[in-house]
Amino acid sequence: MILVPVTYNGGVYRHNEIMDFIEDIGGYIVQKHILASDVVLLCFVPKDDVELLRSIAKSMGGEVVDSPLVGTEIAVVSMSLEIHHLPHPSCDIAEYLRRLGAKSNMVSLARGVGKRIAALNDEERDVINEHDLAVYLMGNFEKCIDYKMPNLRRGIEAPIVICGGPNKETLQRIINPPVDGYVGNVGRFMHRTKESEEFTKLDEIISEITRVLEKKRIGDAKDPLSVSPARLMDLIKENVPKIHQVTSPTPLTVQMAGLRVKLPYDTFASEIRNIEIEDSVKIGDVSNVTPSRMRDYILIRILPFSDTNVVV
Amino acid sequence: MQAVEYFEVECPEMVGGEYYKKITNIVLLDHNLIRTLHKIHIYVDPGVPIFVAVGILHKTPSLIRVRDFAAVNPLEGKIMLVLSNETYLAPMLKIFWQRFGQEHVEQPDRFTVILKGVTIDARELEDVIVADPSESLYKDLIYAFKCIAPEGFRIRREFYTKEKFFFVASEDTLTGDVDALIQSKFKIMGEVMP
Repeated sequence: MILVPVTYNGGVYRHNEIMDFIEDIGGYIVQKHILASDVVLLCFVPKDDVELLRSIAKSMGGEVVDSPLVGTEIAVVSMSLEIHHLPHPSCDIAEYLRRLGAKSNMVSLARGVGKRIAALNDEERDVINEHDLAVYLMGNFEKCIDYKMPNLRRGIEAPIVICGGPNKETLQRIINPPVDGYVGNVGRFMHRTKESEEFTKLDEIISEITRVLEKKRIGDAKDPLSVSPARLMDLIKENVPKIHQVTSPTPLTVQMAGLRVKLPYDTFASEIRNIEIEDSVKIGDVSNVTPSRMRDYILIRILPFSDTNVVV
Repeated sequence: MQAVEYFEVECPEMVGGEYYKKITNIVLLDHNLIRTLHKIHIYVDPGVPIFVAVGILHKTPSLIRVRDFAAVNPLEGKIMLVLSNETYLAPMLKIFWQRFGQEHVEQPDRFTVILKGVTIDARELEDVIVADPSESLYKDLIYAFKCIAPEGFRIRREFYTKEKFFFVASEDTLTGDVDALIQSKFKIMGEVMP
């Protein structure tokens, strides 16, 4: 069963029926937002039933839109936490990603600034690698990007999309070896993105990220995961009641090939490993339950079929 | 409003220079500093790397005295001040408390202050200096240039007089050649380094 990421936008009235329907057809709700009288459901639904969901949603005055970023966790890598990079453009881009369904985290580097002095430490490297994709927000100067990029990408295994002041062709020329995506003319700026051409630029970033993630999905499909991350999310919700007491907006963050569980590793890791998925196959059998570098969270990395020989 | 007569950003990288012109403009506007500047020249070279900002200021506003924002009315045994705006109310009250004591200063509402049992003459009270706008101006100007300069340029040198200023920043130690560089940037504007 192929699950596709979609977003449902509708009213609060009878939205429970939509939720029940998604669960009945074997779909999963990743996130639910209630904003005044509107409901936004970020979900995965079986590919064959998307049209059916669309028609039911229409009858209730809602709509279903394709959201390729649902179920992805993206790191927005800012060179520092200072006013030079925050809130614009780092927060603008992170917020735009969030609107389109991605779970975006800001990763601000301790020593990402300058040219000669720019560096990436092991904690930053590991945190970035825990994401599905990293968006690097660089500055305006070609020389600086050229000089510091080798330092800032050392050890990064997640796909990288670079945003920088020079145009796309220049970025492609100066970054060697090449990264996965480039968006030019988005360097450092000190004002809020509110003009139409700035929104076009944000859309360009989204389409570049979508392209890179789609490419990754196609690559991963050759060796499918042993279990869907969304299914693991549902299982943990059912079997670990403590997760309902976590106040974080996403206590369980679904990734493309894993899941971040916002519970302490030492207390809950073995309990999660022993949850049975199906036919005595446990979570620990089909995934690596590891401590995350982000606080004391748990990071579950699902193993591919070639490693486990099971698909549940 | 007095306009900026000269505003240039010089950079070996054309695209980077354009971005920095935009950044400078926005930061100076956001900090309400554009009207204080008469001429400004910025030089950024990421190759060195160095950031130099030199400029000429408009005549700074004079000292703010009590008479500039309040009407002083001497009454029997007290002096009543009626404020036209409350921008300088806080520093004025601070000065009065220190000078006359809190028990002699009353504030029945936002725009009225009454001094009771004080020996000061009304004329003398009108001349009391409440604030010096130039003090915060230079502080604001330097802060704005810290925001404009590329981040990571933490080795800084700044200098200002009432008319001219310069701000230099780099991530490397500033050498003696910097003086010649600053001088040349003042020269481009037709001015002499202070």
